[in-house]
Amino acid sequence: MMAIVNRTPDSFYDRGATWAEDRASDRVARVVAEGAEIVDIGGVKAGQGPAVDVEEEQRRVVAFVRRVRAAHPGVVISVDTWRAEVARAVCEEGADLLNDAWGGYDPRLAEVAASYGAALVCTHTGGMTPRSVPHRVAYDDVVHAAVRATVAEAERAVALGVGRDSVLIDPAHDFGKTTFHSLELTRRLGELTGTGWPVLVSLSNKDFVGETLDLPVGERLHGTLAVTALCAQAGARVYRVHDVVATRQVVDMVRSVTGHRPPARAVRGLA
Amino acid sequence: MSDLAVVPSTPLLLSEHASLVDPVPQVRTAALRAAAWLVARATGPVLLVCAEPLGARVGRDLLAAAGWAGPVDDLVATAAAADAGDADPLPGAVLAVADGTARRGPDAPGGHDPRAAGFDERVEQALRDGDPGALSRLDQALARELLCAGAPVLRLVGRVVPAPASSWLDLAEDPFGVRYWVARWQGGAAGRMRAPTRG
Repeated sequence: MMAIVNRTPDSFYDRGATWAEDRASDRVARVVAEGAEIVDIGGVKAGQGPAVDVEEEQRRVVAFVRRVRAAHPGVVISVDTWRAEVARAVCEEGADLLNDAWGGYDPRLAEVAASYGAALVCTHTGGMTPRSVPHRVAYDDVVHAAVRATVAEAERAVALGVGRDSVLIDPAHDFGKTTFHSLELTRRLGELTGTGWPVLVSLSNKDFVGETLDLPVGERLHGTLAVTALCAQAGARVYRVHDVVATRQVVDMVRSVTGHRPPARAVRGLA
Repeated sequence: MSDLAVVPSTPLLLSEHASLVDPVPQVRTAALRAAAWLVARATGPVLLVCAEPLGARVGRDLLAAAGWAGPVDDLVATAAAADAGDADPLPGAVLAVADGTARRGPDAPGGHDPRAAGFDERVEQALRDGDPGALSRLDQALARELLCAGAPVLRLVGRVVPAPASSWLDLAEDPFGVRYWVARWQGGAAGRMRAPTRG
């Protein structure tokens, strides 16, 4: 489980709930207690909004990474950024993973990961500029495009010196995609896991869920968990989530059905 | 000389039923120890005595886990076999896979039967004392009513395993309403050999 921790005043789901550093710190403690192995700290809202320059993004995340590192030595700290300057600063503070949610927009990000021995998430956005909203995007085959882009980025990262076991790929639902694209990615996620690279999925409360069910942001948990189950069946490895406990239950349940996880304690009919 | 280990027949001991948290850690530990003790003393084939195929699988799993790579002979303790006229004492190592009653408490598979505890206690006394005669005389009709699947095994054991020099009841518990036992009988070169009970 990768728990989302926003150091933003305006992210779509929590709307600044953890904008205050102490609130963000409380959320980290809570999600770690709930069993999240990874926290994903972000200082810039993914969608459109007021500009956040490098200095402001660093103000939001660098000291906070230091604080989380000190308080939770065992948790994997991921930082959601597309900027190499920010990536370098958080790696100096002990970040373990760079979540390049804008798909290699800044090609130096992989170099930073390599030089610090950090891990990297390679994401497909269809070449979108960070924080842009998709408009009439089209793919011959969105799944093929996602496979091609993420695998190419993963291989490039490895060639630059990122550990082969330190790379994840993420087809990036909603990013540079219509709802139909995200539904198709979910339906065919096995083509991503089939590449052999560990797949991260970021589905939590996203617009493709909301548009599919005609539900606003606060009412998308069940839809999120439904697509989570399908991705778990297809072999996704990391789930970037708002709700750690619910997602963990769904993924554990599915993995037990698929034979990848024993039940917690099964005695029914076996005494 | 004959050595005997009695272990439970519960499929919870099979690796295919492993959970993240072992529901029967003490039972598993005791059963594995008893199997290891038996195979450490075995000089020839291990005779595996059980009532049904499930028990045979549990027994073979335990023997394998204990590192036994030698031959295993099966003896199925059907009611007929348990009652067969003559039975010669068996030399060597015997692994008996046998459970007690399954009617201990309201959540037991067969529901509660107040006679279950007394029946099991008589078996435990015999296992503790190394008393094959008492096992050979177990009331098989009552055992059936109490869903004691191991009764034919115990009866057969009582008829073919001589009285031991030493005997231990290592474990007796019923976490899910079924009585599990782990017991060991160590044969001796001298003394205490009893003639098998004649049917």
